[in-house]
Amino acid sequence: MSPAWAVALVGVLLMVSVYLVAVMETIFGLRVSGVRGYGRAWALPMSRAALLLSQRRSVTERPDAQAWALAPALLGGLGAVALTAIPLAAGVEVADVDAGIVLFGAALVQVMVAVFLHGWAANSLFPVLGAFRMAALALSVSIPFSLVVITTALPAESLSVGLIISSQESLWNVVRQPLGLPIYLITGLGFSFWAPLQLPDARDLSGGTSAEVSGAALLVWRVARASILVAVAAMGAAAFLGGYLGPWLPGWLWMAVKTFGLLAILVWSGHRIARPRMETAVKLGWTVLLPLALVDVFVSGALTL
Amino acid sequence: MSGIVDFLFWVFAVAAVVTGWLVFRTDSMVRAAYWLMASFVAVGAILVTLDAQFLGLILILMMAGEMTIMAIFMVMYMMNPAGLNPMTMVHQHRTAAVAGAGAFVALALVGLLADFPDRPAPSGTDPTVDLGVELLGESMLVFESAGVALLAVMIGAIALVSKRGRYGDADEGSEEPILEKTE
Repeated sequence: MSPAWAVALVGVLLMVSVYLVAVMETIFGLRVSGVRGYGRAWALPMSRAALLLSQRRSVTERPDAQAWALAPALLGGLGAVALTAIPLAAGVEVADVDAGIVLFGAALVQVMVAVFLHGWAANSLFPVLGAFRMAALALSVSIPFSLVVITTALPAESLSVGLIISSQESLWNVVRQPLGLPIYLITGLGFSFWAPLQLPDARDLSGGTSAEVSGAALLVWRVARASILVAVAAMGAAAFLGGYLGPWLPGWLWMAVKTFGLLAILVWSGHRIARPRMETAVKLGWTVLLPLALVDVFVSGALTL
Repeated sequence: MSGIVDFLFWVFAVAAVVTGWLVFRTDSMVRAAYWLMASFVAVGAILVTLDAQFLGLILILMMAGEMTIMAIFMVMYMMNPAGLNPMTMVHQHRTAAVAGAGAFVALALVGLLADFPDRPAPSGTDPTVDLGVELLGESMLVFESAGVALLAVMIGAIALVSKRGRYGDADEGSEEPILEKTE
């Protein structure tokens, strides 16, 4: 795929998916509030975005202005880079990288840097606490995350996402590695700091890293955060649910169905599960998810041999 | 194609040097740490242009966590509340200048005078496979010993810093204040 087409495709895909995530977020929000009629769920995200665009930007005392302005751009860019590693249909690969799964992992781990800088640059108390929370959260989930992602490469005997998908023709990895997808989704929520693991931007910190952000900058930050969630769901569909493989329907449609199915689970869990305390989340990562991820690696490795 | 790769190599090479220089030109510990990370990301990108995709990407992956931890440790050690106040990143100017110039001359001499091997890798080899065979073949003892030693250090560090709270585990309450009973 030529670079110009690739940039256009990833941009359009991210815009559409982020909008659909916002719609899902609104529908589940209305549902848990007991409100009937989801017709306005399609317009509400747009009016909220318009409101944010019309608000003025708040400023703090001596912020690190460049890092503050660039952190949302870095976050959104990382979502786009992570998405390039994933084949969207048979033969439709934005970037055919041999070590595609490592590219995805590298982009996701750098999310920690974007969020840390976003919290740090405001030069204010609650944002910097959110930044420290992101470091603790991301470090706690990154090892189980990397382990379950790299385990999907074992049956494929390759780090290329295309070969990982085609290795699932007989059996999807969600069946072959039953521990993989649940751990992947929980840690993926942590990386996209999405509810219930929205600890760096949580309400108990008055919004955490985005406590001092308003207006267009807040809109860009939220869109970028949703783009990370989209990339997580797309890779979940590719690595565990066979990506574009499936009968009757065209491959890209299967990929879209699986991705949005996972997105629905992720967004739904944010409205249904209470936010854990920071200590509980860290403990979950190190004492529950990490040992389970190691079991996943050893069992899958033994089965592959 | 190779023209683009050559061009990108030079772009990333210049970026690695410039961001490395910026580490010392900033007044914030976090900025310094992340400029250093940017320098390493550029080096990782150079590795990718040299066809060592896996090594380059894994370098970029590792540096995010490492530089964040380094920034947090610097903030903790500097006793600068939350580290938000600007502070200078350089000290001992004369010693630093002499050491820097000396190191530059030494490395430049190595670059100019050393007899580098000229062995183009045979086409069709997969660097990732070669790396895996090396890590779990000839060099297994060395890498596994280093790995197990580092793991022991990590577990030891966690055992040293983890504290039990007042009501049980660390997440269940704060530590009890130390009270000495006085007669």
